[in-house]
Amino acid sequence: MSDHESVRELLALSAAGLLDAGEERLVRDHARQCAACTAELDDYATLSAGLSALPSPPPPADLVRRTSVLMAAEKDRRQGAFLAAAAAIFAFVFVLLIGQTLRILEGDSAAMVWLAWAFVSSMLGTAAALALAARRCLERSTI
Amino acid sequence: MIYQAAIDESFPVAEPPTQVARLRSSDPAALAEAVGQYQHRLYRYFLRLVRDAATADDLFQQTWLHVVRQLHRYDSTRSFDTWLFAIAHNAAMDLLRRRPNERLEDYEFALPAGTADAFSTVLAGERAAILAAAMAELPALYREALTLRFEEGMKLEEIAEVTHTPLSTVKSRVRRGLEALKQKICKEDIV
Repeated sequence: MSDHESVRELLALSAAGLLDAGEERLVRDHARQCAACTAELDDYATLSAGLSALPSPPPPADLVRRTSVLMAAEKDRRQGAFLAAAAAIFAFVFVLLIGQTLRILEGDSAAMVWLAWAFVSSMLGTAAALALAARRCLERSTI
Repeated sequence: MIYQAAIDESFPVAEPPTQVARLRSSDPAALAEAVGQYQHRLYRYFLRLVRDAATADDLFQQTWLHVVRQLHRYDSTRSFDTWLFAIAHNAAMDLLRRRPNERLEDYEFALPAGTADAFSTVLAGERAAILAAAMAELPALYREALTLRFEEGMKLEEIAEVTHTPLSTVKSRVRRGLEALKQKICKEDIV
């Protein structure tokens, strides 16, 4: 590839300010002796300046408010999920502690009955929580 | 020379916001402030990429929701701009890949020679409208590279980080994007 061709490939990047010092020097040295490359470089410079000055389309007036509302709802949801997880862990430990207490005071059978009821009610609670979570996921995916 | 005016250092680059710590604590006022601070840049970025106001609006909101969910992963020693735009890039690319007729990168063209006069004449007129229209016809990844470089004033490394691509790929996209724009504008004048 001739010098002219290899420099020509650098002209757009020169106008974009994306060449390193050595490449930039090469372009400038060549452009001083080559009218075609100088003209092309000027074209790219005009183009670059035009792109930098393109008018910005204004965002919708209520975009920030709508986004802030969504973000606040998401924050609430995350806090709710955290609290629910903490409550579930607390309930699990509480059930085990009561079971252990019953076993000591009333014997194994009383403890087993307690654990069985606790298991059934926790399964129902888990199913309800999963159904709610699935519904929230569906709502979020439609945003 | 004219091109010196277009070279980087003078481009307006927003400083990383000082409220990152408040953002991390999910302070609603800080979140709203950040959304307001970035609304013009982020909305413009989406609009250039998806070319549709309603979709840009959706992506804008999705991006901020993602910010709320992922803020704990943000490394505050790095630029918030770059992190935010990387999230925006992912959201936009997910959407664009699902569009059946969207060209992300492939573009065939040959550089026209000897069209400098025609080019200058076109740009001297309705520059912004012509440029915006020509840019809208470019493949999405070229549009993205050009808007990040020229409208957001990002450096090569920042664009590479936002788009998760090597520096050479960013350079190639900017170069091909500018060459394609030049070609389109010259063609328009011929027509």
